[in-house]
Amino acid sequence: MNKELSFRQIAYMYVFVSISPILRQIPRALAANAGRSAYISPIWSIFLLVPITAIIIGILKAFPGLNIYEIMIQLVGIFLAKLLVLGYLLWILVSIVAKVSIYSLTLQSTLMPQTRTNFFLITLIILISYALLRGIKTVFRFSEFTLGTILVIFVILFLCAVPRIRMDYLLPISTIHLMDTIIASINVIAVGGNIVLVLFFADKLGISTTKKQKQKLWMGVLVFVVLAFFVSLITIGITGAALTADLPFPFYITVKSLSFFNLLERFEVIVTLICVLSDFIAICVFTIIIVRCFEWLFNLKQKSFLYAPLTMILYYLTYYISKSQFEFDFFYSNVMIYANLIFQYLIPVLLGFLSLFKMNKIKKQF
Amino acid sequence: MIYIFAFSLIYTMIKLKDQLLSAYRNLILFLFLSIIGLTLGIVYVINPYLPSISAMLEKYMK
Repeated sequence: MNKELSFRQIAYMYVFVSISPILRQIPRALAANAGRSAYISPIWSIFLLVPITAIIIGILKAFPGLNIYEIMIQLVGIFLAKLLVLGYLLWILVSIVAKVSIYSLTLQSTLMPQTRTNFFLITLIILISYALLRGIKTVFRFSEFTLGTILVIFVILFLCAVPRIRMDYLLPISTIHLMDTIIASINVIAVGGNIVLVLFFADKLGISTTKKQKQKLWMGVLVFVVLAFFVSLITIGITGAALTADLPFPFYITVKSLSFFNLLERFEVIVTLICVLSDFIAICVFTIIIVRCFEWLFNLKQKSFLYAPLTMILYYLTYYISKSQFEFDFFYSNVMIYANLIFQYLIPVLLGFLSLFKMNKIKKQF
Repeated sequence: MIYIFAFSLIYTMIKLKDQLLSAYRNLILFLFLSIIGLTLGIVYVINPYLPSISAMLEKYMK
């Protein structure tokens, strides 16, 4: 089988897609739920991220060369598989709309406050059409090439931030707040669960995959947790938990006060750019997945005719889902997080259990 | 924007007519999605100040 994608590209895509929620939503949500101890929450998320990654790797090992739909057919039959794909389709649809919405809100609240939403949406449609015309590999290779530079920028930002961290904003950590930090970690878990996207592209990874290749996924999860921890630590350590909880984009405000030996300043522009790039890749990947879901659901052989009506639906749904930052925050914390938990954890765990029970039958086939 | 989208739908219909007519389900799916898109667009054009889904959820959940 021809390998269209590699594990490295998938792992890089996972980290890249997770960057914008790490910068925008996680510090704010953690500070609101757990106060000054909030930066510990990403550590608790390991206890759920490790099992889900192990389950996904186990599924990939049990069903080599099959995508999530084909795996579901093997485990639950065609009818339930189609029903689950319909669920994933709706979840991805809402996720894309939420991403497009927050993409335009980010640009409006940071660099371009006077620009109207439809300008951002039209630009995004053109850019995504161009990227998708070049093929799925272009999107993954873009994240592969860009992520290294972005991680270097983060290292520089963290180094610049260390002298400005106020210890009284971070310490003391009380055991009374331990439960709050555990509950708050749901915000990190709901983003880290994006690792499930691997299953949608599993058929493009080839049949024979080595242990070393699968380790890339573990590396992706590790980078995600480390990034979430340091971003939360710096944001709360410099801005303070109370202010972080009230700001729509606290990391942006935090970075405003940083400078690199008084030589380089205005890192906030770079942070906004990183967020926009991350959203762009996320929307591209979600669009690829939604089209694949349509292909699976309706057994389509051609898919080109889907793009025009889907673009129209996504464009107008963006206006219907939320119209301000407050509305988006409400939607994200009350709908998106729980939907993410169902589709990123509950269903893959059920699939993992079913594959364990049907292991003997599966072994005969592969 | 709705005129641009309507034009793009007609253009897709003409350009990909072989693809759409090759399978019954392709045409049905295209028409179904187009009708949803056009309905959303027309409702938005008629009243752009409709409360959003988040606003309605917020109203009923609190």
